[in-house]
Amino acid sequence: MTQASRPIGVVPVEATLDNCIKCNICVTACPVAPVTDLFPGPKYEGPQAGRFRHDSQPSPDRSVDYCSGCRMCNEVCPTGVRIAEINARARAAMVADGAFGRRARLRNNLLARPLILGDLGAPAPGLVNWLFSFAPTRWMAEKLFAIDRRAPLPLYDGPRFRRWFASRPAVGGKAGTIVYFTACSTEHYETRVGRATVRLLEHLGFQVIVPEARCCGLPLLSNGEFPAARRYHRANVDSLIAHARAGRAIVGTSTSCTLTLKEEAPDLLDVHDDDSSLVAAHTFDIHEFLLGLAAEGALTGMQPLPMRLPYHPPCQYRAHRLGIPATEVMRLVPDLEVVESGVGCCGIAGTYAYKTEKYQIGMDVGRPLFEFVAREGAPVVACDSETCRWQITHGTGVPAIHPVEIVAAALGVEVEGPLADALRPLY
Amino acid sequence: MRKHETEVLVVGGGATGTGVLRDLAMRGFDATLVEQRDLTHGTTGRFHGLLHSGGRYVVKDPEAAVECIEENRVLRRIMPHCIEDTSGFFVVTPWDDEDFIPDFLAGCRAAGIPTAEIPVAEALRREPLLNPGISHCFEVPDASADAFLATQATVESARQHGATAFPYHEVRTLIRSGDRVVGARCRDLVGGEDVVITADLVINATGAWAGRIAASVGIDFVVQAGKGTMVAINHRMLNTVVNRCKMPADGDIIVPIRTVAVIGTTDEGVPDPERFSVEPWEVQLMLEEGEKLVPGISGMRVLRAWAGVRPLYQEEAAEDTRDVTRAYALLDHAARDGVEGFLTITGGKWGTFRQMAEVTVDSACRKLGVDRACRTHLEELPDRRNREGYHWLGERLARIEKEEDYGDLVCECELATRADVVRAIHEGDARTIDDVRRDVRLGMGPCQGGWCLPRVAGLLHEVRRSPVVDANVALREFLQERWKGLLPVVWGRQLHQARLDDLIFRSLLHVGALPGPASSPLGPVMYERPTDETTVEAAPTRTPHHATEPVVAGVDRDVVVVGGGLGGLSAAWHATLAGASTVVVTKGLGSLIWHTGCVDVLGYLAGFDEPVESPAAALDRLPADHPYAIVGRDALSRAIAGFRTLTEDGGYPLEGSLESNHLLPTALGAARPTCLAPSTMTAGDLRRRDPMLIVGLEGFSDLYPRMVAHNLNALGIPARGVSIDVPTVRRRRFVTATILASFFEREAFRSEVIDALARTGENASRIGFPAVLGLDRAPEVVADLSQRLGAEVFEIPTLPPSVPGIRLQNILRRAIGARGGKVLDNVEAVGIDAAGQSGISVITEAAARRQRFRGHSVVLATGGILGGGIFGSSDGRLSETVAGIEVSDVGSRLDWFGRRVGEYHPVFQAGVETSSDLRPRAGSPHPNVFVAGGLLAGADPIREGSLEGIALATGYAAGAAAASVATSRVAS
Repeated sequence: MTQASRPIGVVPVEATLDNCIKCNICVTACPVAPVTDLFPGPKYEGPQAGRFRHDSQPSPDRSVDYCSGCRMCNEVCPTGVRIAEINARARAAMVADGAFGRRARLRNNLLARPLILGDLGAPAPGLVNWLFSFAPTRWMAEKLFAIDRRAPLPLYDGPRFRRWFASRPAVGGKAGTIVYFTACSTEHYETRVGRATVRLLEHLGFQVIVPEARCCGLPLLSNGEFPAARRYHRANVDSLIAHARAGRAIVGTSTSCTLTLKEEAPDLLDVHDDDSSLVAAHTFDIHEFLLGLAAEGALTGMQPLPMRLPYHPPCQYRAHRLGIPATEVMRLVPDLEVVESGVGCCGIAGTYAYKTEKYQIGMDVGRPLFEFVAREGAPVVACDSETCRWQITHGTGVPAIHPVEIVAAALGVEVEGPLADALRPLY
Repeated sequence: MRKHETEVLVVGGGATGTGVLRDLAMRGFDATLVEQRDLTHGTTGRFHGLLHSGGRYVVKDPEAAVECIEENRVLRRIMPHCIEDTSGFFVVTPWDDEDFIPDFLAGCRAAGIPTAEIPVAEALRREPLLNPGISHCFEVPDASADAFLATQATVESARQHGATAFPYHEVRTLIRSGDRVVGARCRDLVGGEDVVITADLVINATGAWAGRIAASVGIDFVVQAGKGTMVAINHRMLNTVVNRCKMPADGDIIVPIRTVAVIGTTDEGVPDPERFSVEPWEVQLMLEEGEKLVPGISGMRVLRAWAGVRPLYQEEAAEDTRDVTRAYALLDHAARDGVEGFLTITGGKWGTFRQMAEVTVDSACRKLGVDRACRTHLEELPDRRNREGYHWLGERLARIEKEEDYGDLVCECELATRADVVRAIHEGDARTIDDVRRDVRLGMGPCQGGWCLPRVAGLLHEVRRSPVVDANVALREFLQERWKGLLPVVWGRQLHQARLDDLIFRSLLHVGALPGPASSPLGPVMYERPTDETTVEAAPTRTPHHATEPVVAGVDRDVVVVGGGLGGLSAAWHATLAGASTVVVTKGLGSLIWHTGCVDVLGYLAGFDEPVESPAAALDRLPADHPYAIVGRDALSRAIAGFRTLTEDGGYPLEGSLESNHLLPTALGAARPTCLAPSTMTAGDLRRRDPMLIVGLEGFSDLYPRMVAHNLNALGIPARGVSIDVPTVRRRRFVTATILASFFEREAFRSEVIDALARTGENASRIGFPAVLGLDRAPEVVADLSQRLGAEVFEIPTLPPSVPGIRLQNILRRAIGARGGKVLDNVEAVGIDAAGQSGISVITEAAARRQRFRGHSVVLATGGILGGGIFGSSDGRLSETVAGIEVSDVGSRLDWFGRRVGEYHPVFQAGVETSSDLRPRAGSPHPNVFVAGGLLAGADPIREGSLEGIALATGYAAGAAAASVATSRVAS
């Protein structure tokens, strides 16, 4: 509840515990507590335990580490207690207090640096893919680092995104310039999402800039590694601030990266300087941005896509508190029937279910979603967040795409991968 | 009449009396203590918890300062587990005179108080919320102390040395024989008998009551009662005691103690130690002064305010009680008044109680002609629970975490477990819930007993096995006691909480309808209603998350509904039925999840205690401004019929009609009227008199079956209660209502339940369970259990969360979705923009920005005070939170509430007044704004039992009207 850099009017996340009226609504929404009794639930961990914590005292916590950070609790809370953020800061205090052993810290720090890991393996993607799919390697990783051997590690899908982007001729934009803040996964593992996004934005008349970027820092934040997250966020703000000052929209296709820039990093790290706030104010989820274009009548020419598409809005997306812009944009696609999952969390929660001790919790949390996807029986499922897509595919075998690929396809822009395969029979 | 003989009788069970008792016992006297209520009931249980370093008194009262620091050292040694080593700051704020500093430092030196100046930057690093404008900071060994725990440990030590303590023994008069006091005539309030205690020596340690006790034997002296008011803030924004560095004055200290921070204190002479009130000006003063130490503190959540009375002794009455010495006084009435066998020890501070006891017992030794040395400073106090030195803020949480006891929590705010409560009842011989509170620290957090009270009442009944009315009275008395502390500070979030607690106790549990009297002789004394008319200045209320946000396009629909409770969802459903495209934005889930899952249409008429038998017949007697009168009986009938059809189609039929109310048992066993109830509940109807069995589950703390059964017996229903031990539940460390509901959907779990019940050998033709019998398939679950048990199975709604409420919510949400409507959670409306050309927009809050939901009409269904749609600020203003629409006038904040918790509270009838088409009468931003549900003025739906009926009827009318406006506009 401390830090001096917070401007007047910005409420520290812990102060919101005063809003709690103990009503237990959050308890009904938490997907973790019902599947494991290692986690006593959001009311207990957030507003209740919060009254027993103080920065100047030792951390009394243990079970809060089992909070997946999915924010289902925040979503249903009628009084605005920021439970998931309170929990994230409590975990950071545990980390700072040395509550985790060296192996757990090492593992968490590995998982929390997806871009560095991706960069390391990028020179030999084939080898890394083989190793990551090779049972003995995974067994070793589990023994050494407690990274569950069953968890859905991503695989390289070709040359890195930036190499493709740099290889293209610059395209001028009569509609303006857009900054594309790429996710670590887009850079290495789902480069097709990045290509579809760039093609889509260029199709709409924008010039696309892909600036230097570090990982947004969310994996570090959700592992309680705050000092490193602070460095990452600062580097990103420094890289983006000139664009924000120029009034350019910064769009992202990863709902967690954009949420981190908008709110999570500033609020969890108490970084509320002008630059950070200006970058936040200019950061948009891709569909939030497209919905704005649609409202101006600038998103037209959608072609019919006669298909039924199961869609899961990820937790990090709902945490933007915008409703579900992707659904609204996809509504504009003729003949497309989008079926929302209507269930909570997929269970992966970023790096959570990669951990040996949490893998099964993640799978149990995700079960209702997996059942939904299986029931739908569609060739692809859509979801805005990368690790959620991997988890859904892991839990169901159904390939998962980003909704922006759907919009791109509807606008006649080239798409690749599972969506292209799914659309082929339609044409 | 009972007789009791003792060598020394101590009157008064506060810190001083118990300290004297211990000292006597340790010096080998046969000693007995009597206390009129529970130990610490008086001033000891009502101070801010400061263990003085003495710094406060070094200039004003150097003698007291020396006593303080001496005892500070002793208490840290003998009872560290009762003390938190917070340390203390004396800070010079811009309002304080720096000329005081040399006097302060010289005084500290003279008194022997270790004092160090620390740089302001260092002070701010340690306490970041401290006023950055302070110029100096001096650190002293202040600490905070848990006086409840300390007193218990002191008495425990005394008992170990052979002493006896009788709580709930009220001294009616001392007994005087000639020139000698020889004992006391007492009333045992629990046993209901008179007790005569004879003693060689009587020690009067009754603090502010000392003059009154002495007067009973014709001895006259003045102990002024100096009332000190304190205000507790919900969380510890400080971890160090912070004092103003100046002469002692009102509101000059903030003490972090346990989970709260206490601002103290005022000092007002009062004529009677049992009759005083906490005045609004005192609360305001505490917050204003607190603001100088911690800017922003007055906008934080205030939990409660209370006052204690300091005993201030002097031979002559003083003008200002602050001028009276804080040092203590020992009166030997032989020397002073010529009466032998009688000593009075009074004055002083909590921290010097041991020293006061020492000098008193020294004097007692002389009087009794013995020479025995004091050893109370040498021997540590016993404690059963903790031997790890000072306590600390996180201690309870760390213990719960280590032992994974979180499934056993009774008080969730203060983390007190079932084992703690049972121990307090067994070992502490707790009679009332207030006794339990003092023993385990419970019911003192944000909800002020909302969740733990029914649980403690249930445990009290189960453990003590006393008549159920005792538990009922204990519950009602504690509610009243908490209400007293809340009254001066009910605004903001505490008003919201008070309304939710009102829903729980008044409606869901129906505490007022439980058998037994409203109060007992064991109840606390000391209560007066505030009299002062001063209103408290507005504290900062709602702080926007980000100061300036851009607004981005959201969703365009015909109708935008604000609020996801029953009113909002039914408005949205009816709007979609009328063909309007509809979106619901809701900040969080609504009150369906807090209540019974039944449809209350009208349970009580104003002025009548008896429930309404037929809502249809009683409707005519409602006033013209009642929401039912506004929308008309026809709208109500249609809404009810529509909802019945919807739930029936959803496979979850609601039974009943407007013609007659069911009378269903609550989770405490009161009879509660409701109009429509799910088929899973109706077999519990108390209009039937056939026997029933109430079944609770071990590990699920929200239903105490024997308490329910015994209360039903008092209503003439043959009922028994039994708890069953179900292996799957036992294997989990905790269960919640929703977890149990998912268990009950499994056939194997139901088999376990049936087996467990069979093991008890109990049976009846109808069997009640907590309302957790499945979520989506409840009627199937109930049918299966009924068939296999050969009985009619029914559900009893328990504390929130309400599984039956979730079922209704799911049905409505599915119905809205099926007609193309959308419900967007986590989208908080913060304004309405009616300025644009194209219709009307609801502005919502989002990460880093705001968003615009455009529509042709808007339904506001934000739920009044209960739902967060009306905010009450400390200056007594009530505001509608989305559009600032005018709220009906219910008077100033003093007029908001009745004096007793169960009375009519005008503030709960506040709302938006509308014309017959549910458009606000005044202050609406746009003609197409309609109002539905709890936000409407003209009714207190919790009190009259109309919460769901009003939501359905006005939701229906508002949804249809909004759709009609929107679609006709589209058509044109």
